[in-house]
Amino acid sequence: MKPPRLDAPTQSAVDWTLRLDPERATSEDRQAFAAWLAADSRHVAAWQRVNGLLQQPLADLQRAEVRSPGQLDAAKRALDTPASAQRRRLLGGLSLLALGLSGTAAVDRLAPLHGLLADHHTSTAQRKSVTLADGTQLILNARTALDVHFNDARRRIHLHEGELLAQVAADPLRPFVIVTAQGQVKASETRLLVRQEAGRSLVSVLRQDAWLQQRDGSETLLHPGQAAWFDERGMRPADASLLTRATWSQGYLESRDEPLGRLIEAMRPYYPGLLRISPAAAEIRTFGIFQVDDIQQALRSLAETLPVRVTSYGPLLTTIDRA
Amino acid sequence: MPTTSDPNALLATLYRENHRWLRGWLSRRLQCPQDAADLTQDTFLRALNSRQLEQIQEPRAFLGTLAKRLLCNLWRRRQLERSYLDALAQLPERFAPSEEDIALVREAIEAIDRLLDGLPLRARRAFLLNRLDGLGQQAIAERLGVSLATVERDLRRAYIHCLTRDPEQP
Repeated sequence: MKPPRLDAPTQSAVDWTLRLDPERATSEDRQAFAAWLAADSRHVAAWQRVNGLLQQPLADLQRAEVRSPGQLDAAKRALDTPASAQRRRLLGGLSLLALGLSGTAAVDRLAPLHGLLADHHTSTAQRKSVTLADGTQLILNARTALDVHFNDARRRIHLHEGELLAQVAADPLRPFVIVTAQGQVKASETRLLVRQEAGRSLVSVLRQDAWLQQRDGSETLLHPGQAAWFDERGMRPADASLLTRATWSQGYLESRDEPLGRLIEAMRPYYPGLLRISPAAAEIRTFGIFQVDDIQQALRSLAETLPVRVTSYGPLLTTIDRA
Repeated sequence: MPTTSDPNALLATLYRENHRWLRGWLSRRLQCPQDAADLTQDTFLRALNSRQLEQIQEPRAFLGTLAKRLLCNLWRRRQLERSYLDALAQLPERFAPSEEDIALVREAIEAIDRLLDGLPLRARRAFLLNRLDGLGQQAIAERLGVSLATVERDLRRAYIHCLTRDPEQP
């Protein structure tokens, strides 16, 4: 397949990038470049586009390199790995552009592939119990991925996504830390729930105290029965709800006058496809107990008891709207 | 496939008639049944997103192509991860990175690899020497044992490859 052509300003920006090679460029080159850049705002945009390639990953690599020397080199070695013969064989002759594929974001959100690389992961509608070396018991909710990092000085869990319930075994010498993208929760012996959503995390302390440590270094002591949301901007107390009670670990969700949107949110990891709810339907109050292991039945019972219309379009798409 | 244009009905049919076959196909290529189930699901989700359901003549060829792509991505990510961890293992103890840095580097590696996917090996190396090591064209030519003109051609090819890549492509 012929590659799509670049527009003229981008083409020129590539030419300039090559011509401005630091070993070869003359001062005339640089002057001519400055004139080209000043001639048209589209030239500036094109230049930024060409030279912004890889900017983010390169900045990340450099940040890691500053903190732990050797990372850049390790990354370079990894990137020097040619694609395996196995992969080339499989891909041989495929023209994927011709299929017109789009929208990987939805796929990643629904069935996180990166979870497959984690120490422990669960897929849709699956829960898992794990006993760690120190006797700590974890229960992973569906669509959860986490890594375990224990050594002589500390016990640490990285929750990449999803939700876990931890019964932390006592160890006075090694605090137990659960790290999310927005902060971490520290305890020595406790029972708690931690949930990683897109852009924010939830901690709910069920037994004994725990510390919430935010990225800015601030710490908050949480007592049993207390829960908090935290993100880049700070933390705020979370009301008791079906999200803080962790009953999914026993296979059900219990709503006590809670909005349907929240109930659906908690059901999502048990539904294999897209579960779409309209804003109007999301506000409807709900009561009752819903078994997560038969999600179709749970959706049917919602349709029977609430003023909503639940429509399934095949096994991968269900919409919920106010009737 | 039935002669209807309702994409959801088409997808339902596609799923019903093929998901068992697809999971079996993937199971034979993956050791872990859970991986196979995940990739099966991903394949159908991708089919849902492809918006060309009504044009599919050979559903199993279509699904097989999608599944192969996902399988390749999975293998590639594992391969990169293994190479990176191997390189880490050779670092002196005192340089051991934090988990945060490992995650950061791992994601950066995957992002760069995705962008360069499909680029011939020599052009890939030239581009990485240029962007990651900051080497000039003459230095790259010496390192790779090729002419200056070849390096320039490879770098141009790499830039065009990256700039014309469909950002939605996995």
